[in-house]
Amino acid sequence: MFDFLIQGFGVALTPLNLGLAFLGALLGTLFGALPGIGPINGIAILMPLAYTLGLPAESALILLAGIYTGSEYGGRMSSILLNVPGDAGAVMTTLDGHPLAKKGLAGPALGLSAVSSFIGATVAIVGLTLFAPLLAVVAVKFGPAEFFALMIFAFASMSAMMGKDPIKTLIGAVLGVLISTVGVDSGTGVLRFTFDMPELYDGIDFVVMIIGLFAVSEILLMLEHAFRHDQDGEMAPIGRVMVKMSEVMYCKWAILRSSVIGFVIGVLPGTGASVASAVAYTTEKRISDRDNTFGTGDMRGLAAPEAANNASAAGSFVPMLTLGIPGSGTTAILLGALMLYNINPGPMMFREQPVVVGGLIASLYIGNVMLLLLNLPLAGVFARVLQVPRWILVPSVAILAFVGVYQLHSDLMAIYLMLAIGVFGYVLRKFGFSLAPVVLGFVLGGLMEENLRRALSISGGDVAILFQSGLSIGLWIAAALVVLVPMFAGKLKAKFLPAKVS
Amino acid sequence: MKLAADRVLSLLLLGLAAFVAVQAWQLQVPFSYDPVGPKAVPLILSALLAVLAIVLFVRPGAGGEWPTGALLLRLVFTMAVLGAYAALFINLGFLVTTALVSVVIAWLFGATPVKAVVGGLLLALGSYLLFTYGLGISLPTGSWIEPLLGSH
Repeated sequence: MFDFLIQGFGVALTPLNLGLAFLGALLGTLFGALPGIGPINGIAILMPLAYTLGLPAESALILLAGIYTGSEYGGRMSSILLNVPGDAGAVMTTLDGHPLAKKGLAGPALGLSAVSSFIGATVAIVGLTLFAPLLAVVAVKFGPAEFFALMIFAFASMSAMMGKDPIKTLIGAVLGVLISTVGVDSGTGVLRFTFDMPELYDGIDFVVMIIGLFAVSEILLMLEHAFRHDQDGEMAPIGRVMVKMSEVMYCKWAILRSSVIGFVIGVLPGTGASVASAVAYTTEKRISDRDNTFGTGDMRGLAAPEAANNASAAGSFVPMLTLGIPGSGTTAILLGALMLYNINPGPMMFREQPVVVGGLIASLYIGNVMLLLLNLPLAGVFARVLQVPRWILVPSVAILAFVGVYQLHSDLMAIYLMLAIGVFGYVLRKFGFSLAPVVLGFVLGGLMEENLRRALSISGGDVAILFQSGLSIGLWIAAALVVLVPMFAGKLKAKFLPAKVS
Repeated sequence: MKLAADRVLSLLLLGLAAFVAVQAWQLQVPFSYDPVGPKAVPLILSALLAVLAIVLFVRPGAGGEWPTGALLLRLVFTMAVLGAYAALFINLGFLVTTALVSVVIAWLFGATPVKAVVGGLLLALGSYLLFTYGLGISLPTGSWIEPLLGSH
């Protein structure tokens, strides 16, 4: 049953793919560490690179996955050293990470977070290896009706768990799905929302969308920060980047618990690192914060979100590789990248593309070790990246964005569209939207409509088909539960907690 | 003010929902075996969007700080620079436009003029070398330079 893994190591250990895994880890760490550019922006900006290199699918995916996991490593640097989280997933890292740096323990904090990240990722990759083939067997039973229900579940768990503002999460997802309807309708050949512009007939291109939404809007946001002079505080001196065994042992339960939490949340479709690290941190605080040291530089408070972060990154590959449903905003980007290679992610992928799947999973193991080896001794070097001035960073991002879109399309319209989407993304972010639901909606939207229509063609228009199989009923119930339980849990807490306190 | 931002947004979204609904309604659908057709999903989405927009109007969240005055001008100017970059990218060529745009953006982001010029030129040259020789991407050289090279 683990043939795919053996085959995968065969793929991942070729010199080219080893090199790419290393390149991805290096670039990912660097981009994740750049001020203001978190994992998701890093991937969005570097994605076109994978195409420019003209790589085969599995190699491109290995490079991108390396960037993804690497950027989760890099993202912690600005959180710990500057108290500036690179993205939502790194917010929890600042809570205890930065106080540690202020105490003069920046180096050990970086070391501990590297070790926790490594353990978290390892637990999750092993989980991925064990569960993905099992889930893939179940996934083969999925018909269009089940897929439709699954996507409803994905949107439900996303809105229930992501962001402080569930309404905006949902609106973002709807906008994403709407954008995915632009272009020729595959079922009937009717043109939808193209406004007589031939450039839109094929729909809005994935790369254009992602680069506009993330890179261009990021340029505008960085301009704002530069203008307001929210200069990031003094960088703490790093010192020894080595973590003592005793420190790791002190955090071992925090790390292990958070790894499992991170993996499970990563597997849930639609929820990613931000939810995982928040849940892990609050859980750990509840379990082990006896002396109220969390938030003042408790090593366990740093280890927990870091382990969960990386565990969820690996966990979110489970639904992506088995069902074709991205587990997070970032895997949504990876999924889109796969589709550009005409690989249809989904239940058949394990059988039809064992090279791609196995190679990717094997490269996660390899990349994880590389990242630890890179990050322990070199954290001090990577930290220098934090001091790259914005006036060099921003033009570089602009150049990457333009070249990325141009070399795919050689077309001015695509670049203008990217800029327009960038303004759209900027406005959304100013309104307090997170962009991950928009991307998920955009990627899942087309699949959702396709499956709905396929299901209803089978039944001749009878909606009952959506609720017929046990699987789909289970998914509908699960979707309802994810939305309803937190609502009631909040009420129950309000009911019981005051009583407990008094 | 903060609450108002979300209310304005919800009105915009309502407008968008209506626009989507009208557009979808007008789609001319030829006969097909597909019982759902291309209209249904956009119509459902627009209804959903309308409901969500109304909820947002009733319970607006905290809007962010909006740029005004000099900052807004800078943002618009930056977009204009990027737009010009796009417009000139092919005709003037990658090297020239990238150098110009990098200098202007570096200056916008607070570099001193000397730093901006040196940094911008180096960025343009460095990225050109990296992309063409390192990654083998063909970038537009610019239509003005071709007669000078006498190749065509």
